[in-house]
Order: sequence, then C-alpha cells, then structure tokens
Amino acid sequence: MSEERKFICVSCPLGCGLTVTLDDAGEVVKVEGNTCARGASYARSEVKDPRRVFASTVRVKGGKLPVCPVRSKTPAPKGKLFEIAEAVAGIEVDAPVRIGQVLIHNVCGTDADIVASRDLEAV
Amino acid sequence: MIERIDVLIIGAGPAGVAAGLGARREGAERVVVVERDWDLGGILQQCIHPGFGLRTFKEELTGPEYMHRFIKQAHDEGVEFRTNTMVFQIDRETNTVWTMNKERGIEALNPSAIVLTMGCRERPLGAIRIPGTRPSGIYTAGTAQRFVNMEGYMPGKRAVILGSGDIGLIMARRMIWEGAEVEGVYEVMSWPGGLRRNIAQCLDDYGIPFHLKTTVTKIHGQDRLEGVTVAEVDDHMTPIKGTERYVECDTLLLAIGLIPENELSRMAGVDIHPVTGGPVVNDLLQTSNPAIFAAGNVVIVYDLVDNVSDEGLIAGASAAKFAAGKISADVKRIPVKGGENVRLYSPQYITGETDATIFMRVTHPIEGACKVFAEPDLYSQRLRYARPGEMNEVHIKAEQIRNAVDLSEITIDIQPL
Repeated sequence: MSEERKFICVSCPLGCGLTVTLDDAGEVVKVEGNTCARGASYARSEVKDPRRVFASTVRVKGGKLPVCPVRSKTPAPKGKLFEIAEAVAGIEVDAPVRIGQVLIHNVCGTDADIVASRDLEAV
Repeated sequence: MIERIDVLIIGAGPAGVAAGLGARREGAERVVVVERDWDLGGILQQCIHPGFGLRTFKEELTGPEYMHRFIKQAHDEGVEFRTNTMVFQIDRETNTVWTMNKERGIEALNPSAIVLTMGCRERPLGAIRIPGTRPSGIYTAGTAQRFVNMEGYMPGKRAVILGSGDIGLIMARRMIWEGAEVEGVYEVMSWPGGLRRNIAQCLDDYGIPFHLKTTVTKIHGQDRLEGVTVAEVDDHMTPIKGTERYVECDTLLLAIGLIPENELSRMAGVDIHPVTGGPVVNDLLQTSNPAIFAAGNVVIVYDLVDNVSDEGLIAGASAAKFAAGKISADVKRIPVKGGENVRLYSPQYITGETDATIFMRVTHPIEGACKVFAEPDLYSQRLRYARPGEMNEVHIKAEQIRNAVDLSEITIDIQPL
C-alpha cells in the first residue's frame, strides 16, 4: 500500500499544492504539483525531516532597542522549534550587535546556529 | 542659500531606499532620502521572519537582512539619508518640500524631482464598526508585531485574529512561538487574504483553526478585552442568526487590509486613484504632477517586497531622468483599463518610453486554468489559477507601444480558459 500526502510548499510565495507518494517503507516515490526543483526537495524534506527557519528576538543590554531580531541561520527541525524558542528567550546579549553574529551555536543540539539578523548600535 | 537637490525621496522603506539607488544609477548627483524614524528600513525592520527577497537575492532573508543589503548598497553608491526628519508639507505650486528636524530646524527644499515612498497603513478598528465595548487589548497586527519584535512586549496571552492578511498570519505564529495561545483566525470573505504558504506555515503547522466567511460581531470587556462574539456570514456578509459563538480572549489582532498613505500626495495635489487609493501613475511611475514620482505600497499594496524594490528603482531612475530634463512633457499617455475580473491595477497609463509591468488583482478567485492578457494583442500568459491574495502581472515591451498604430487604449483582464 502506498501512501499519499498533500501539503502546501512554503519554499516561495507561489505556494504550490504538493502531493507526495510514499511506498510501504516510507520512501518517497513520486512528487507532484511542484513547479520547481526547490519544491521537489522541500517535499522530500517535509515527509522525512520537516524543518523551518526559526525567527525571534533576544534581549539586548544597552542597545538602541531593547531586543534584537535573530534567526536560525539554517532551517531547524520542526519538532524542536519550541525548545529553540525557550533557549533564545533565555539569553541576553550586549550591544552593539552585528548582523550575522552567532549568538547560540548548535542551538539545542540541532546544528543550526542562532544569528543576529540586524545591526544594533549601543546607546 | 538654496540647497540644490536633484531627487528628494520621502520615506526610507524598501521603495525609498531602492528609489535612491535608482536615481544615483541614472546619474542624479544629489539624491536625498528623508525618513521620520531614527532608523532606516521602514516596516521591514519589524518583519523579522524569513520570506523576503527570494527573487532579488536568490535566498530567503528576514526583513532586517533584506533592508541591510539595500541600505549598504545605497550608502556605497552615494545616496544621502536624513533620519528623524519629517516632511510636513508639500506646496503644490512650487513643489517645495518642507521638512522638520531637531538639529536642522524647519527647511524648505526645492528638489528638481520628488519620489513619494511613504508606504501604507493598516486599516484600524474604526474602519469596520464592530458593536460592543472598546477595552484595551485590541491592536492592528502590525502594531502587535512592533511591540513583540522591536519593543519586547507581548500584547496578551490568548489572541483572536480577525482578517487573514499576511501580517495577521505571521503574527499568529509569532504569538505561538512566544508562548501565547491563538484561538483562531476569522476571515469574513470566502477566500484568504494572505498567501497560501502563510496559511500552511503559520496556521496549519500549529493547528490554529482558520474560519472563512466568519467575523467578529461583538467586543466584550470593560477595561481589558474579555472576549469576542464570532458569527458566520451569508453571501452578503450579514451575520447569520444562530451561528454566534462567544470566544474568550484578552487580545484581538486586526489584519483587515492596508491603505496607501497619501496625506502628503494629496497635499501635493497629485491625482489619487479611487480604487487603489494611491497616486495615478504611468509606467515611469510619474504622477499627474510631472515632477513627482511614486513607488511601492504608497501606489498600490504589493504582496512581495521584491516588487516594491523594483518599482522603487524605476521611480528613482525616472525622477533622475526628469531632473536632467530627459523626460519630455509630451510623452504618450495610453490609458489602461481593467476588464470585468480586475479589481485594481497599476500603472494606469503606458508611455512606451520603457518596458512596463502592470500589476493587478482579480475581484474573486478563479480556480483552474485561466489567462492573463492585455489587448489589443500585447500580452497573454496562461495561469493555473488567479486569486485576490496573489497579484498577477502583465508585461509590455516599449517597442510594442512605439510600433503600435492607432493604439488608444489597453485593456487588461483575466479570463477562465
């Protein structure tokens, strides 16, 4: 028995409707509905190891703003996003902050780094 | 001493920064962008989620990262910025732009060309007249986004979201990630306002219910919001008796539409389009005042910042050409008309001086194969569907217009196949 799974591709603003066919062993045998290669690889990743880029803020000491936006540099496992959110909420950094500066290495053992996504000057 | 400015740009969001670049690249010597905030980048500084710039940079950036790249380019290419500077008046006879700044005081600037890039504002609660009380806890989604992402405050613990514009969807996920509950998203129309991928990655990922043809009919609570009544609506958007349901919440976020911000444009006397709410423009992004150009969400509300930046580049380049006397006063002005399925579009005139992109939205979803076209015989493209939440485009080459004989009007439309 093969299994079909349907979802919306989030790789770009088009939002293609994807249909992925899996064989008995859970291996992807067919991807339909995608209009580009990014969509095909998203479909494979979504059934095997769903990932999302996480974006939030961290507290900043002495900055022009009280918080600085951060992101996971690479997509992190979807099942770990809330754990990552806790880790990010738990830190405070000193201004100035530079865009791309790594604030947490391998957050929650996911091999994704949390990096600053803007420059934030000190007051 | 009268300061000489070739191109003055009002607003340093994505459209304004790109306009600065466009003007410099076209050879304008002094290009000044005025911004009332202390920071550059406009609304994208609070849009900290990824999803910006895939077309421009071939990768998905967060809002601040996207602006960082453009702002750096603008600095490198000699665009001048004046922050903490408010434009409070534009004189329509002389095109004098009056600015106010704590250090510089009040100044009257007389640039050779002006670009309007003030963006848009959110429709507020007052625009939809919901019965009930007016407690605290009701915010536009963008205000809540600013609280959470730039000021470090959470607006509440249990939210209802009215309207399904992208900012509301993004904020649903943002609230969840910050530990709040989102009871549901309610949309009065029978189709979503935002992009499908945002419904997938912001609602479906977290099991947030999405209710179409449903709206908030009453607000409850004295000092702080305590709950809302929601009800289904019929095809005339009238609430259906017997479908009312009380939902407990301390926060109501509104994602009910965006309106181009044209207070200054009106002051400057440029013609405003009754449907887009933005200046009437030609494909050079020139308004009814030949020295004033406009780009981005101040003209028509776009889905994608890449399009806003592209339009900014065009408006800046056109303003630089005008400042140098390179746009003739009698450019062609061929009107564009929208067909029966087109709700709004921009630009409204085509000159044939440049390759043109006309952006448009359909009045209602057309599911299944259809085509977007421009007549007479200028453009035709097959589509898999057309939806109001996703803009469509028509592309017309300058030579098509230059070579046309007796072209008095262009009609654009989308029709099922």
